[in-house]
Amino acid sequence: MSERFDMFSPPPAEPDPWDAASETARADDDAELDPREAAAMLAQTTRQAERQFEIRPPILLPAAAVTVLIAYGAVWLSVRSQHPYSGPTGTALAVLYGTLAVWIVLVTTVLRRALSGRSSRQRRLEGITFAAIWICVYVFQGALHHADSNHAIAYGIYPAVAPLIVVGSAAAGYEAARENRAQAGFAATAVVLGALASFAGPADVWAVTGVGLCVLLLIGAAAQLWRRRA
Amino acid sequence: MTAEELDPLIHVPARLRIVATLAALPDGDSLSFTRLQDMIGLTPGNLITHLRKLEDARYVGIEKTGNGQASRTAVVLTQQGRTALESYTAALRDLLGEL
Repeated sequence: MSERFDMFSPPPAEPDPWDAASETARADDDAELDPREAAAMLAQTTRQAERQFEIRPPILLPAAAVTVLIAYGAVWLSVRSQHPYSGPTGTALAVLYGTLAVWIVLVTTVLRRALSGRSSRQRRLEGITFAAIWICVYVFQGALHHADSNHAIAYGIYPAVAPLIVVGSAAAGYEAARENRAQAGFAATAVVLGALASFAGPADVWAVTGVGLCVLLLIGAAAQLWRRRA
Repeated sequence: MTAEELDPLIHVPARLRIVATLAALPDGDSLSFTRLQDMIGLTPGNLITHLRKLEDARYVGIEKTGNGQASRTAVVLTQQGRTALESYTAALRDLLGEL
């Protein structure tokens, strides 16, 4: 059974309460439970547990929206007045990758609170697969640099929209295969946004993509909240 | 249908909440004993007593890993437990429909 527990599960700091507790406590088998009371308890417990076990907590999407706006905004501010276009400054890249690192830490922290078992293993595999796809996007950018490609392409349009188009397409296909229409539609919209933003030019592509993705993520967050309240 | 016909193993406040909580997990996932205790709000001794009853009926499985400080106990709802809760829910719905 040990394979049920993943590397993200922190070891308990204290002895397992199961070992420490005695089994002499009395079960309240005699407690009267009215059927109406039972139905209400069942519904309430199920609702509370489903919220606790939610894989995508509502905080993630607004946090992603802010992250994208800061990261893409920092790059846009550093390139908007460049003529000819030479690419983001070191400071802007530090902000871009710094916010990305904060985002990864946040997601990892949230997932560490999650469950063990099949869904945990599935999420880890998903994470590895999408990370590999993401890395390949940057490997291709290295090839563009190696081929002395135009800076407007290699350090402007490509890095701004390629992650969105490539990773978004993979996510849209994955979610469509799972018949998850909302997630598939969300990912497909991000792909369309990336494709259209690429026409904005090497500098403004950062602003268009950043603002567009931020709005899309906020719409996603609102939809998620609306579904929770429904 | 009467209230006495409801599954007596589930028709107890603490065990109903335990089973309903575990049923909200994705199929095949387990929950640590500590987290289940936090969610249900029972003392460890009481929770163990209820879990033992559910385990005896094969409604839940108890998984222990590690030793000493590193030991960890996890609880999982079995297929039998999931089916029992579905039957209980259906019976409850029938009963409330008749009331």
